[in-house]
Amino acid sequence: MTRLARTALVLVGLGAAGALIAASALAQGPVKIGASLSLTGTYAALGQNQQRGYQLCAKHVNEKGGVLGRKIEFVFYDDQSQPATGVRLYERLITQDKVDLVMGPYSSAITEAVANVNEKYKMPMVAPMASTTAIFKKGRKYIYMVQSPAEVYLEGLIDVAAKKGLKTVAIINEDTLFPKATVQGTIELAKKKGLQVVFVEGYPKGHTDFSAILTKVRAANPDVLGAATYFDDAVAITRQMKELNVSPKMYGVTVGGDLPTFYQLLGRHAEFVYGATQWEPELPYPGAKEFVVSYSLEFPGRDLSYHSAGGYAGCQILVEAIRRAGSLDGEKIRDAILKLDFKTVYGGFNVDQDGFQVSHKMVTFQWQEGKKVIVWPDELAAGKALFPTPPWSQR
Amino acid sequence: MNVVITPAMVGQVVVSGLLAGALYSMVALGLALIFGVMRVINVAHGTLLTMGAYTTFWWFRLLGVNPYLSLLVSMPVMFVVGIGLQRAMVRRVVNAPELSSLLLTFGISIALVNGLQLAFTSDLRTVEFLTGAFVVGGVALSKSRLVAFGFALVITLGAYWFLQATRFGKAIRATSQSPMVAMVCGVNVERVHLYTFGIASALAAAGGSLVAIMFAIQPEMGQVYTFKSFLVIVLGGAGNYPGALLGGMLLGLIEQLSSLFLTTQLSEAVAYVLLVLVLLVRPTGLLGGRAT
Repeated sequence: MTRLARTALVLVGLGAAGALIAASALAQGPVKIGASLSLTGTYAALGQNQQRGYQLCAKHVNEKGGVLGRKIEFVFYDDQSQPATGVRLYERLITQDKVDLVMGPYSSAITEAVANVNEKYKMPMVAPMASTTAIFKKGRKYIYMVQSPAEVYLEGLIDVAAKKGLKTVAIINEDTLFPKATVQGTIELAKKKGLQVVFVEGYPKGHTDFSAILTKVRAANPDVLGAATYFDDAVAITRQMKELNVSPKMYGVTVGGDLPTFYQLLGRHAEFVYGATQWEPELPYPGAKEFVVSYSLEFPGRDLSYHSAGGYAGCQILVEAIRRAGSLDGEKIRDAILKLDFKTVYGGFNVDQDGFQVSHKMVTFQWQEGKKVIVWPDELAAGKALFPTPPWSQR
Repeated sequence: MNVVITPAMVGQVVVSGLLAGALYSMVALGLALIFGVMRVINVAHGTLLTMGAYTTFWWFRLLGVNPYLSLLVSMPVMFVVGIGLQRAMVRRVVNAPELSSLLLTFGISIALVNGLQLAFTSDLRTVEFLTGAFVVGGVALSKSRLVAFGFALVITLGAYWFLQATRFGKAIRATSQSPMVAMVCGVNVERVHLYTFGIASALAAAGGSLVAIMFAIQPEMGQVYTFKSFLVIVLGGAGNYPGALLGGMLLGLIEQLSSLFLTTQLSEAVAYVLLVLVLLVRPTGLLGGRAT
């Protein structure tokens, strides 16, 4: 053997040993969980709340010794509320940052886009903030739903309206995936309850001036107005309803109306507005009280909304699944998630074979004197709906 | 599932369109000035508007004084900021190929937006002042939009008078007609550039201050106004100042009417389809370009 060959052998040996050492050191490091969230852009307020949920969960899990004897650590990116950016970031998380697992982004639209990425790499993704049914009914195997589907967001509004004997409903929506699913579901629910749908129209994402569409709503003169919204548009529509003097007997929004900021921005104008929420702090789910307390200690003065609790719960679910699977292997975690049936701080979690949520329940509230009072369903209601909503001139 | 359109509804949206249009005219006049004088398309124009909006928000939040008075702060402050930008950066690309100025102002815009996000977070903010509407014969006139309309009209006409009647206004117009000839006639072209950028920034800031009282604001809100202003000056004729006034009103009406007669989803597309058509059929704009 020449000296050159010997040297080469030694080098190869050293390299291999080095790689081994590096690998075992890596195994002792934290479990890396990647997520990109909408930290800026249209969905910023909601995405940030979700991020705080993830962060708090990681802290709690680590305080209790982590999972599989390792700590967990999140790697976060900002997708700027853009699906295309989300796709790029999940590719990067999986291929470059080499995270062990991923958690879902904010919103159905972005989840729908990034679900193709984790599917490609067979990496399970608990998606706490996607509630569009279609995402989970496309034969994907590695994505799991946490909350109730978009279709039932306005169920409470419609149900209360029917019980009060109202007859007509108008629906407006942001023209994106999730609100459109809400509109479809609401039309079905309204028909079932005997209400007539008199007006339906979408508006583009990022729309700020609702004069024309609200003028049409006023002309349709519905008893009930349901708006399938996100946060910015929910605020704008409510303000502009007053400017255009649109006064239905009931008015409800979907996403965004539940944020404390909604009331802070609108003040008295938010009174009587109905909202749908996946979760409220006072709901009696296991660990919810402790979650609320530690959230306010960890993030003083920041919004607490269902997005925070959902993020927290999504991470709880993933950690529980890792624990039961006893490994970070995608297939084993998938099996564990499909078998899970337990209650998080967010309520029930149980998915069917497609990963579609079947256990979680929605609630409807109304803003009354600056507080969200749960008015539906009856078994969880904390108060009665103030009905009908008076005209703007009398508020 | 649609509604029958009545004359009252048309009246309502025409009013809404004109109210919005005056604001578009004012903001677009700033963009038109910069383009006319320097052949620079200022992509950061909307961001300067955002900065005006935040000035008003903080004025109202910290002082609690009538937010319309904040125009007295936002306009001069942004005038100075505009002059600073021109002096430090934009000056260097005035005679460069158009792509240079596009890239530079685009970069400025990104830097400013991110600065605003860092400083003020991307949370939505509102100025709760003068909400609600006067209802006149079935048409609701939003109070804040009505006042904004008044301010926009006065400021725009004031700027227009300044361009027509004052010595410096004439220097600006002369420079936009022919920098060379203006220079030969003793106009300090460099100084004209400087103040033009300042005036344009102040116009954007005024727009921002008024927008902040009507809509919720956030750091990225300005981009839409850059696009709209661009549309306005193409419709009206790039570099044609009365054209910007007409274009603004037209855009307001087109947006609202197409939203009423077609659907709201299509309303934004209609304006941009019109942009393409104007560029194809009458590239000098409806009133013809470059005339003053």
